[in-house]
Amino acid sequence: MKKFLLMSTVVLLGVTTLAACGSSEKKESADDGKTTITFWAAPNPPQLKFWEEMATEFEKENKDITVEVSQMKESPSSEATIQSAIASKTAPTLSENINRSFAAQLAASEALIPLNEHEEFETIVSDRKMTETIKSWKFSDDNQYVVPVYSNPILFGWRTDILKDLGFEETPKTYSELLAVSKKLKEVYPDKVLWAKKDLSDPTAWMRWFDFFPLYNAASEGKAFVENNKFVADEEATKEVFELIGSLQKDKMLLTGESTDPFENEISIMSDIGPWTFPNWAEKFPELKFGENYVIDTPVVPDRLKGVEKVSTYADAKGIVMYAQATEAEQKAAMEFLAFVYGNEENDMKLLEMTSLIPARDDSVDNPSFATYFEEHPEMKVYAANVPYAVPAMDNELYNDIQQVFGESGWVPTVRGEKGASDAWKDAKTAVEGVLP
Amino acid sequence: MKKENNRLGWLFTSPYIIFTIIFFLLPLLWSFWLALTDWNMISPKINFVGFQNFITAIKSPAVQSSFFVTYKFLFVFVPLALLMSMGIALLVHGLPKFKGLFMVAFFLPYLSSGVVTSLIVKGLLSYNGPLNTMLRNKFQMDVDWLGNPNTAIFIVSLMIAWKMSGYYGLILISGLENINQEVYEAAEIDGASSWTVFWKITFPMLYPAFFTVAVLAVGISFGIFTEVYQLTGGGPNFATNTWQMEIYNQAFVNLKSGYASAVALISSVVTFMSIGVIRKLLEKWGERNGWS
Repeated sequence: MKKFLLMSTVVLLGVTTLAACGSSEKKESADDGKTTITFWAAPNPPQLKFWEEMATEFEKENKDITVEVSQMKESPSSEATIQSAIASKTAPTLSENINRSFAAQLAASEALIPLNEHEEFETIVSDRKMTETIKSWKFSDDNQYVVPVYSNPILFGWRTDILKDLGFEETPKTYSELLAVSKKLKEVYPDKVLWAKKDLSDPTAWMRWFDFFPLYNAASEGKAFVENNKFVADEEATKEVFELIGSLQKDKMLLTGESTDPFENEISIMSDIGPWTFPNWAEKFPELKFGENYVIDTPVVPDRLKGVEKVSTYADAKGIVMYAQATEAEQKAAMEFLAFVYGNEENDMKLLEMTSLIPARDDSVDNPSFATYFEEHPEMKVYAANVPYAVPAMDNELYNDIQQVFGESGWVPTVRGEKGASDAWKDAKTAVEGVLP
Repeated sequence: MKKENNRLGWLFTSPYIIFTIIFFLLPLLWSFWLALTDWNMISPKINFVGFQNFITAIKSPAVQSSFFVTYKFLFVFVPLALLMSMGIALLVHGLPKFKGLFMVAFFLPYLSSGVVTSLIVKGLLSYNGPLNTMLRNKFQMDVDWLGNPNTAIFIVSLMIAWKMSGYYGLILISGLENINQEVYEAAEIDGASSWTVFWKITFPMLYPAFFTVAVLAVGISFGIFTEVYQLTGGGPNFATNTWQMEIYNQAFVNLKSGYASAVALISSVVTFMSIGVIRKLLEKWGERNGWS
């Protein structure tokens, strides 16, 4: 009995000592009358720096609010970090780096606060001139859970130097034009391919954002893929995309093995590219000059859409959410902080300059504040011009499962040449419908 | 005196007991509870689903496939690691000078980051990496090393074996150092060949160290994650999707924490049983040959 008591005492002592290290429940406001909010920035140093600057400037004008900015941990992933934080009740007040699909997952679990319930939200939307952009961020329950920070349309880079060697003065716009380039490429440079990307044959869910969805959005003119838990994908467009990929696979114009910087090293002549690529190119591949040896263009479209002016694509867009664990005082302070940041377009200019991410505004191209920047960075102007036609990720909490089974049963077998377009469509449809409730 | 000793014993072992309870027993119990729910660790709603997660996991083709993939790794990695570590140990042990220096050199990969080594291997084996460039130029061959299921498993296993063999080699060297030189001298006088000396003297006397290394290597093969995550992501077509990858994807990508917990518990039981069976087989092998 004594042995048991001694053992219990030792264990209890240890447990209580460790428990004392934990944080206590949140107080409505701090004792000194100040409200402290926490903000998790994306795991990207320039973004962290941007938000630290914003917090410092905000605190100068709002002495009663402290904004603690820290970098979101990326190990094992930013989503998992948020999941653990919510489970352990240590979630921040606000965090950025949330895409629409993950926001849908969080919202379905009642982990987010609908921002539209705060009166400042409308002011933020109008001040930042994002009335159009915000429409595609509305969730199926009619709420707005995200303030989009940036929206990067996924566009395609083309090696114009190689295209010229092949006798093409312009980038292909339609599937027929693309296949003509592909045919010529095979004749002239049998060692080169059209598109080299290992992820093409990987069924991992998120990878479809950077291969299938840009092509699908272009072919379907931005039609939804899944809506209100229903598979509503455009059959004709999906089959056309599958047919195109199947043709390229047959012609050995897709390289799905591991390759290092294939577009930059002239192994491939086309590549999906986001604007975050350019700072890296400036450092690693200074020989790549926009307009000289490469250009950026919208995804190719089926021949039936030849000449269409507004070509849709996928938007790698992320924004800020507010977590349900925030107290009322913290929510109020957080909205004031967001209103401060987005009430001044100079802050978006700073975001653009510091991070090379396109602010999610309707007027990025026309706004005179950004004119000088775009003159100096014409490649970025192409991205800004395509923001209104870029479709963010689907609003469905099951997006991972949906995109995973779609990849497994439709996209990847097409890339590997194992299925024709009709079979791939049929199997993908059955698989996605099997996942949906 | 006896009571005093008991108290002291409890006192000295208490840090370990507390550590084990807090970081092993409590998480294990919590994990079991989690596996009985459909909780995603975000939602305030937690539904008790009984053993449904376990049933779903056992029936899941992905879990079944990851079970076989893990065993494939076991059958490729363990022999590779044993051969390489034995080779290193014999090589270094036979050196007349600088044994320590060479052992440290072989041990260094063990200290390297799995992420970094994976990235280096990825670069070496890429389409425009040095190996494929040479193969293309000399033999007009293009090998998709990480895109072919068989080569992908072999490469990941080889990489982990390279990383671990210095550490295992160190254990084997300490075993070799303990073998009495007089036994070798006697064998030499008897005119025994190197092959006979290895199988009749070195290996039997090294068996306890070899046994330890073999069990450690088996344990490692059930925990393969970083290298697969970095090199293949579980592909091509799930050919390298190990148990750990499946648990990671379910827990942190699909946010199915309850289900992932059930898969983790099943995997830990299978791992525990497999290590037990392999250990028993090794013991029997040793006993039958009079090595242990």
